[in-house]
Amino acid sequence: MKRILVLIYATLLLGPVLDAQESTPARPPMEPQGPERPGPWRSISPGQAAVPVPVPVPIAPPKPNGPVQKSLVRITATSVEPDYKAPWNAGGLERGVGAGFVISGNRIMTNAHVVANSRYVTVERDGDPNKYPAKVQFIANDCDLAVITVPAPDFFKNMLPLQFGGIPTLESTVSAYGYPIGGERMSVTTGIVSRVDFQLYTHSSVDQHLAIQISAQINPGNSGGPVMQDTKVVGVAFQGYSGDVAQGVAYMIPTPVIKRFLQDIGNGHYDEYPDLAITYAKLQNPAQRRFLGLKDDDRGVLVSSVVAAGPSNGILYPGDVLLAIDGHPIASDANVELDGEHAQFEEVVERKFKGDSVKLDVLRNKQPTTVSIKLYKPWPYSVQGHSYDVRPRYVLYGGLLFQPLNLDMLEAYRTADLRVRHFFEYFVLDQLYVQHPDVIVLTNILPDPINTYLAPYRGGIVDEINGKKIRTLDELAKAFADSPDRLVIRMIGDGPPLVLDRKQVEAARERIMTRYNVLKEQNLEEQPASKPAEQTNKT
Amino acid sequence: MTTTRHALISFGLVLFTVGGALAKKESAVPATLSKQKQLALVRVNVTGQSYDYFRPWQKKAPFSKRALGAVLSKGRVLVTADLVANQNYVELERAESGEKTAATVEVIDYEANLALLQPAEKTFLDGITPLEIAPDTVVGDRLAAWQLEPSGALLATEGLVTTVQMMPYPIDIGQFLTYRISIPLQYRENSYTVPLVKKNKLAGLLLRYDSRSQLVDAIPAPVITHFLKDAESQNYRGFPSAGFSFSPTRDPALREFAGEKQKNAGGVYVTTVEPGTPAMKAGLQVGDIVTAVANNEIDQNGNYVDSLYGKIEFTNLLTSHAYAGDIVPFRIQRSGNPMQLNVTLEHRDAKDYVSPPYNLDQPPRYYVLGGLIFQELSRQYLKEWGPNWQREAPQRLVYLDHFQSELFSDRNRRVVILSQVLPANSTIGYDELAYLTVTKVNGKEIKSLDDLAEAVKHPIEGFIKVETEEDPKQIELDAAQVGAEAQDLQENYGISALHRLN
Repeated sequence: MKRILVLIYATLLLGPVLDAQESTPARPPMEPQGPERPGPWRSISPGQAAVPVPVPVPIAPPKPNGPVQKSLVRITATSVEPDYKAPWNAGGLERGVGAGFVISGNRIMTNAHVVANSRYVTVERDGDPNKYPAKVQFIANDCDLAVITVPAPDFFKNMLPLQFGGIPTLESTVSAYGYPIGGERMSVTTGIVSRVDFQLYTHSSVDQHLAIQISAQINPGNSGGPVMQDTKVVGVAFQGYSGDVAQGVAYMIPTPVIKRFLQDIGNGHYDEYPDLAITYAKLQNPAQRRFLGLKDDDRGVLVSSVVAAGPSNGILYPGDVLLAIDGHPIASDANVELDGEHAQFEEVVERKFKGDSVKLDVLRNKQPTTVSIKLYKPWPYSVQGHSYDVRPRYVLYGGLLFQPLNLDMLEAYRTADLRVRHFFEYFVLDQLYVQHPDVIVLTNILPDPINTYLAPYRGGIVDEINGKKIRTLDELAKAFADSPDRLVIRMIGDGPPLVLDRKQVEAARERIMTRYNVLKEQNLEEQPASKPAEQTNKT
Repeated sequence: MTTTRHALISFGLVLFTVGGALAKKESAVPATLSKQKQLALVRVNVTGQSYDYFRPWQKKAPFSKRALGAVLSKGRVLVTADLVANQNYVELERAESGEKTAATVEVIDYEANLALLQPAEKTFLDGITPLEIAPDTVVGDRLAAWQLEPSGALLATEGLVTTVQMMPYPIDIGQFLTYRISIPLQYRENSYTVPLVKKNKLAGLLLRYDSRSQLVDAIPAPVITHFLKDAESQNYRGFPSAGFSFSPTRDPALREFAGEKQKNAGGVYVTTVEPGTPAMKAGLQVGDIVTAVANNEIDQNGNYVDSLYGKIEFTNLLTSHAYAGDIVPFRIQRSGNPMQLNVTLEHRDAKDYVSPPYNLDQPPRYYVLGGLIFQELSRQYLKEWGPNWQREAPQRLVYLDHFQSELFSDRNRRVVILSQVLPANSTIGYDELAYLTVTKVNGKEIKSLDDLAEAVKHPIEGFIKVETEEDPKQIELDAAQVGAEAQDLQENYGISALHRLN
């Protein structure tokens, strides 16, 4: 019995962090493609992984990091992963283990990916045999942080909340705490601060924030654990590369991101990161600088495009040169000086909240001007990232499954279709969302006599029904609901129309739902999936 | 509806990776063969160089190929176009004596993958009885693949024709009649163009071989005959096309939508008619149902009943049976009303595509401007990414190539791309740009490299402004600096000429 448990456990442990690693090589669409070549260490690492060999323990930090044991918790989350190929089902059960730590206000901080999609969360602490049920209070999937709490009245009594520090200096030593693979009890590893830079946060796969690379070993189960320096938390361990991509590259979420999250939820709601929603180019070419009327002072970046659904629309224009942001001069390599450190100018926006404004000094047609932009998060980016705690949207009609294009759907079907991939990659850049807020794909067909000849239409993107353009899934559902006797569905591109007879579809409804155990024919709202624990426990 | 078709490796180079496939029991040489003194086979030695599309001013390292050619009447030698594409020098070699002579490529058709060679010495093929064509191979026939041993002796392997159908050829334009033969071919040094023979007559020419399944696809006699007949005319015209795409009408709902009232009526649904093509000129429209072509009824899957092969796709009537210039009657149903259209077939040249599907034996066009390399999008360019170019080439460009007929209504244009940037003083800060599509230069719309060459002559206040579809959207160069640095750039990177526009 014990043995079996251990085995299952080991596989479960790998869950969250592996997930993060797999999607790491996401690249901007136009970047020349070179496969990630494993380094020369590759031949060594599998051996190491297969046969655990004791290695000398790294030197302990000069000062003890304080009573981390009285703050650290082990979090076990049982989650339901939505099934995008059978979206009417609840989805598959998964269990993962991560770490968390107590902060002020009887709260526990951890990674969003430890508790995303969770239905039941328990925490354990050192020297206490109990498992305490916990509740997710706030989750920020765009920066991979979450705050959970334990309702049990006495839980926090003997726990010590940890304090946050600043950005540790390069080469200084840090220690990572957590419950990684290799044993049951708390583990601590040390390393140094290797790099401070913007990184893709792979939990959402679309957001970039500041992250700190450390040389401390971080493995599955470390997620959400504190990284300490001099009794203070300087980061939350969250992602890394698997051994066959790069060795010893681990990242932690630094305190500016953590503090921003805690401030954002101060009003009882997490509002997400706002974004200027522009693309820009560095201005390092002397001829281009002269053409734009710039001085030879290494300042300014060129606005390439402005997302129509974003806050800069109508305020910034392609061809504008951004000279300063909130008074900080922008260098031609897009850096600004913040608190004595160089950072990309977006960092100024990063530290702001929804509804805040940012002031930009702009050179437009060689004339200086100043604009103010009230920030919010533009929605189209969310299509290109992972979603959590929502049920997939879909419409099933006549056995034809229509789903809006997004990253989760694309990965579920491993779509190779050139057109669908194009719509995904260029959804924001080419402003495709203006015509197609939902890119509705006929993803699957549940075979039935009424759709037996329709297989070639699979993978098509719906353009119009009976002559009317279909822009959203709601419009699609409405077109089906209001349909006359015959439905003529045109897909984008050269194919023939897909023709359905309404009476036949109606007659087949019950048959298809019964045969394929479809519980619900459509879900139009991306409603939160999590329900009170007792309801979903049985699934 | 485009059908997925990559059943076999559809790339030109024949993959003779037979390594390890032990010689099977050798098929008996047909008895009649031994009587023939001199085989109608010659060795063909080719050296060539293909153009380097990443460095378009230069050619790649030379390659050499050894192959066989089938000797036909009038002193002609038939080989695949693959073999002699991008050739510098072609040599024929008598199998039994080793005697050699230079040869010229008389006619080449890249789409049908056929070429005719002619020896420099007219007497070179004397004594060889040319091969006749066996036009009537059908499923179930046995064909012999003729190869040569190093000694010059015949190596014949027998196989069974399993399928005759329309399939794509290496240059993926439309479909051609193809024999599929189950045959355990052996590797020999010169097995490039392998003739397939039926009773001492040429039945086909090897197109590709899959060593795992031991299946050969062969260019069949009807396609060869078509090629030879066309080659005899003053100007080689090439295989014709009509210029429309279609999908089956098995779906009763689609048939009813198209106005077809009869339950079991045949025909195919016209999904697109490309502008400027014979189908468009004849008045064919999207939504028409084509029920008969050249008086052959078409079923719901698009097949007609061929007197030789039985059911086969009707496009065979337009390629193997018809020639460019022929008028072919189409019977159609439009909104339930029968009509007849006369389609005058034409050959569509590679240059009549926005992104040409092939460009062989011709140097690529390019324009180097201060380190920016401009080229025109073509499939040949994309194929520089190797056999998996569809996945590995920049996806934006693959998309533009694949959906070109849908994306560009103007067929008389090219897509100009900023292919790469050579680091130089004038391109500081631009060196990471690549694979961008150019929309305007100095305010002028760019639809070809000629447009670009003209537009760069008119700088705006001393600057050349290039606008791109993708980020960064605009880049500028100092016109005077570009001119001043041109020679340095050429010497630095070994660029023989800064542009080639013809």
